[in-house]
Amino acid sequence: MKKSLGLWIGLLCLCCLTSSATALSAETPFTFGLLLVGPYNDRGYSQAHYDGGKYAEKMIPGVKMIYIDKVNPADRPGVTIPQLVDDMVEKGAKLVIANSDDMKDGIREAALLHPKIHFLHISGDDVLTRKAPKNLSNLFGKMEYGKMMAGFAAAMTSKTGKIGYLGPLINEETRRLSVSCYLGAKYAWETVLKRKPEDLKFQVTWIGFWFNIPGVTADPTQVVQNFFNTGHDVVVSGIDTTEAIVVARQKRQEGKEVWALPYDYIGACEGASEACLGIPYFNWGPGYVQRIKSSLAGNWKSEWIWLEPDWKNLNNPDTTTVGFQSGPALSPAAKQSLDGFIADIGSGKLNLFKGPLNYQDGATYLKSGEIATDQQIWYMKQLLEGMTGQSSTK
Amino acid sequence: MNIISLTHKRLLTAVVDWSITLICIGAFTTLILLATGAPPVSTYYHIFMGAFGSWVKFGHSVKAWIPLTLCACGLLYTFKIGLWNIGIEGQMIMGAVFATGILKWGVGSENEILFLWLSFPAGLVGGALWAVVSGFLKTKCGVNEIFAGLGLNFMAQGLILWLIFGHWKQPGIASMSGTETFPQTLWLPQAFAVNVPPTGIMLTILALCITAYILRFTRIGLNLTAIGNNATASVLFGLHPDRYMLLAMSLAGGLSGLAGCIQVVAVYHRLIPSISSGYGYLALLVVMLAGFRAGMTAIISLFFACLNVGSIQLPMVLQLDSSLSGVIQGAMVLVTLGVHAWRKRRAAS
Amino acid sequence: MAGKALHPVTCPLSPYFMRIELHDIHKYYGVSRANYGISLTIEPGTIHGILGENGAGKSTLMKIMAGIIRKSRGTILINGQPADYCSPEQAMKLGLGMLYQDPLDFPSLTVLDNFILGQTSTVRIRKQAFQCRLNRLSEQLGFSLNPDAPVKSLTIGERQQLELIRLLAIGVDVLILDEPTTGISDLQKDVLFNALKALAAEGKSVILVSHKLEDVENLCSRVTVLRHGMLSGNMTRPFSTEALLKMIFGTPPLPPLLSPIPPGYPILVMDTVSTIGGRCGLRNCSTQIREGEIVGLAGLEGSGQEQFLRLAAGMKKPTQGAIMLNGIRIDGRNHYAFKDKGVVFMPTARLEEGLIPGLSIAEHIALQNNRKGFGLQWSESLQKAEQQINWFHIKGTPNSPVETLSGGNQQRLLLSLLPETPRLLLLENPTRGLDVESTHWIWEQLQRHRLRQAGIVFSSTELDEILMIAHRILVFFDGRLTMDVDTKQTNIHELGRAIAGKH
Repeated sequence: MKKSLGLWIGLLCLCCLTSSATALSAETPFTFGLLLVGPYNDRGYSQAHYDGGKYAEKMIPGVKMIYIDKVNPADRPGVTIPQLVDDMVEKGAKLVIANSDDMKDGIREAALLHPKIHFLHISGDDVLTRKAPKNLSNLFGKMEYGKMMAGFAAAMTSKTGKIGYLGPLINEETRRLSVSCYLGAKYAWETVLKRKPEDLKFQVTWIGFWFNIPGVTADPTQVVQNFFNTGHDVVVSGIDTTEAIVVARQKRQEGKEVWALPYDYIGACEGASEACLGIPYFNWGPGYVQRIKSSLAGNWKSEWIWLEPDWKNLNNPDTTTVGFQSGPALSPAAKQSLDGFIADIGSGKLNLFKGPLNYQDGATYLKSGEIATDQQIWYMKQLLEGMTGQSSTK
Repeated sequence: MNIISLTHKRLLTAVVDWSITLICIGAFTTLILLATGAPPVSTYYHIFMGAFGSWVKFGHSVKAWIPLTLCACGLLYTFKIGLWNIGIEGQMIMGAVFATGILKWGVGSENEILFLWLSFPAGLVGGALWAVVSGFLKTKCGVNEIFAGLGLNFMAQGLILWLIFGHWKQPGIASMSGTETFPQTLWLPQAFAVNVPPTGIMLTILALCITAYILRFTRIGLNLTAIGNNATASVLFGLHPDRYMLLAMSLAGGLSGLAGCIQVVAVYHRLIPSISSGYGYLALLVVMLAGFRAGMTAIISLFFACLNVGSIQLPMVLQLDSSLSGVIQGAMVLVTLGVHAWRKRRAAS
Repeated sequence: MAGKALHPVTCPLSPYFMRIELHDIHKYYGVSRANYGISLTIEPGTIHGILGENGAGKSTLMKIMAGIIRKSRGTILINGQPADYCSPEQAMKLGLGMLYQDPLDFPSLTVLDNFILGQTSTVRIRKQAFQCRLNRLSEQLGFSLNPDAPVKSLTIGERQQLELIRLLAIGVDVLILDEPTTGISDLQKDVLFNALKALAAEGKSVILVSHKLEDVENLCSRVTVLRHGMLSGNMTRPFSTEALLKMIFGTPPLPPLLSPIPPGYPILVMDTVSTIGGRCGLRNCSTQIREGEIVGLAGLEGSGQEQFLRLAAGMKKPTQGAIMLNGIRIDGRNHYAFKDKGVVFMPTARLEEGLIPGLSIAEHIALQNNRKGFGLQWSESLQKAEQQINWFHIKGTPNSPVETLSGGNQQRLLLSLLPETPRLLLLENPTRGLDVESTHWIWEQLQRHRLRQAGIVFSSTELDEILMIAHRILVFFDGRLTMDVDTKQTNIHELGRAIAGKH
């Protein structure tokens, strides 16, 4: 009896092994896989990507998305990127999108293992550093503009002149974005409000990862509370999740006059609008559509793509990659100034990445009158003079 | 009563035992699935297919099986002598840290392959050292190994975070995601088609066989059992419980350190905060379910590895939370232990 | 006490006469059998004795009756009706209750709380009512229990009384007592026996398990004897001791021999040694053990003998004083050093301290012999085990786990594990719980070592045994060595006084 049972199980295994490859890959004309670092409904970074994928499904007929969320070693111990890619490829994916900086090495490894599949790594620079194989491209949006607007709105609103920036981990991207935010705030403070430069305090605190991993990262909720308890009245979030706006709302209910700007996802302010000054957000739909079409058409190249906002309409879901949605808590006057600010940047009249600017340690970043190149902005080596917080680790 | 009918009877009992256990597990997990609103049949189907659906998938299961089995192998020694080596997670982490240290040293050297091989003994030593600390606390200071182990787990976790965020950070980057990925020359070679490192499999099978042999046929095995069952009496037999506890701890630590090393050289190719993937704690369950037998340990850990790998399908295909697999795992352990206890009571009376 | 008229016991629950019939009871543990085809009848209103040597299957049979273990085969009839129960609770509902050798009570609770436990299902406990009941029952049976005393302050005998009352209050009509006279005073024994007689007169059945012939002869109206798991015979009053012994042992045992050999040089010398531990530690003990000498340690349990033996074995270290072994100072070293010099310690608690549960006889032999080398010589160990089993008459196979052996066989195994040529044997209660035959046999074996000029030190709770075996007697009282005397120069009365701390 035992023997025959074993035989049956063995047979079953064998059937599965042989049949699966053929059975699963049929039918759908084009499947793309999406690897999300956080939960697909995090009201932050990962949800923005998830919505982008849904948008692409809607816009291009016959395209189907498969996705897996919480792809990080803390949430899924033992699971690796190449393993997930293997599985998606088996399920028929022809293009795999990895949405996190954290997946850089894993996706490169997977791309080498699957030369016929196209890979799109969001936020990476493997193409620039020539580490990328031919089937791997990078895509990102010029979020520094969104961050400038966030900084601008923060400084226009702040009563104490103390702005907190809730930073994730420290790398070129995060330094770039916090610097952008600072530049926006500084412009509002010194040029628009004409207040003393030394009265603006811009504090960056890093938690160690894109979102809270209990026991591993600093707890973002506590970091934000600490900001508000030490006189900061606006917190700009640089992390994937919504702790900043949630805490701000709680503090407002306790009677404190504080605000926050979440990040990444257009809907991040829902339910906390009284504390929300605005959201710099990603709109991945258009970028995805463009890349999927290129993969479909067979003209895929290994490219490094850094998409601009649609300056004509920052909030057009069909055209812009980076958007800024001003929040209900932003005063009309400030909003007016912000609109002017946006128009000036969009028209090229104003460029905040223009010297003289010094690094935090006093070294020159941009000489007087010098305008930063894309590369200089992308590879931001330190925070700038005037910001407090770590540029690197201790 | 002749011998043949006796073995027959024993076989029959074993079959009945397992059938009852499996039926109970099936019923209980199905109930849980129904309670959480998951369709049971397709859940089982997708988990199964996720683990066995193709050679590549089976390869991933094997890749998870390797560290899990190594840890479980080590635990066989400590369970034999009656120690609860909860510190196995920390030991695995230290193995990974030591291996990473050697590999970092080897980056860019002329014979990188030498450093790759050196990382194995390094991982072994790292895990063993960490375990011996726990052993010393137990034998010399009378600290319960469970508390010592938990404390050392926290310390190891702290150390790994400190290294990743500090000393071993990627240049210009401070992230909890991990150290810089090692160049491919420092990866453990894999069999191309299924992405499984043959060296890892061979090491694991070797560890299993040696462990089974030691526990079954050598003086060490007998002495470990004797001390585990009655340490007081073992002294009268001239055995030194302290020394054997340290031996068992260092063997367990060494094997789990090796598992940590394999996580670095064959799975992640870098050091990450959760390098242990919880395999240490899982291995504790594996060994208990396997009834502390080496052969069964290999099978049960393959089962758990498959469950771990296969359950990734739940969020991908059924949009279910994959933590459900943890619930299934827990339910299985509970039911198995429950059925086992029940059978034991029946047998005793 | 015996003269005091006993009140009739009015049972709080309806009196219920129970006639128990056992038919063809079998119990197997794997291949070994503990009970084999036992049939017997217990009439209501009688005190029924169960006799047998250690390992004869008495305890197993009682545990089957009390529902603690399941029988492999056979039927139990209660008043002619088949009764199938498989837990002590179910047995108790039917009216069968067992009084264990070690009463199962909660030491930190009071007598009254223990009495109430298991009797009440309501949330609010009417302590007053229970106290009345406790007092009434205890008075009727001639017991004197203080309801407010914590149980841990009671003697074994008093705890037994409490448990007995509790069983009666629950409504037990058939009482099973397993070796109830072990560890209680003669006075308490009289009280207990009178109570049992009164209960039997009330129509309750009492089953008394004992290996003390005297107790059974005094109390029981009918006796069943078990031997090797089978029924060996029944006998009703009046009993013939001769015949009973024959049923128990097959042939009656002989008293052991004590051949006088002059003692030689001192092996172990203790000089004003003190240590802590146990009930009262050990203070300023000075004595010596010589070659070829058998020394008996007497005293109430926990008076210092335990510490003495453990100090002599190197199992613990003295807080002061010196210990010399073969003329060399050795105190402060561990047991391994003592063991190297030929000191062997055999503790009283066999499964707790001496043997290793889970390991078989052969594995114990392997443990003892395979000191060197990596691998195990299995065939050699099996062969040796077979040899020892034959030589020491151990009932078991080389592969029997030691916990399946009966107490006497465990003791034989421990004995078989002694090294060939020990220099000093330290034996803690080596014959506790053994029947006369086993005791005799064990001392015969040990004499061998004495003839080789080894020293033997043993403790025992049986003064008779000490007087019969030992050349010299050490009496301990309250942590001190109070008497060190040649056996020939003392007698049982003097020893008894010394043990009680009187001079």
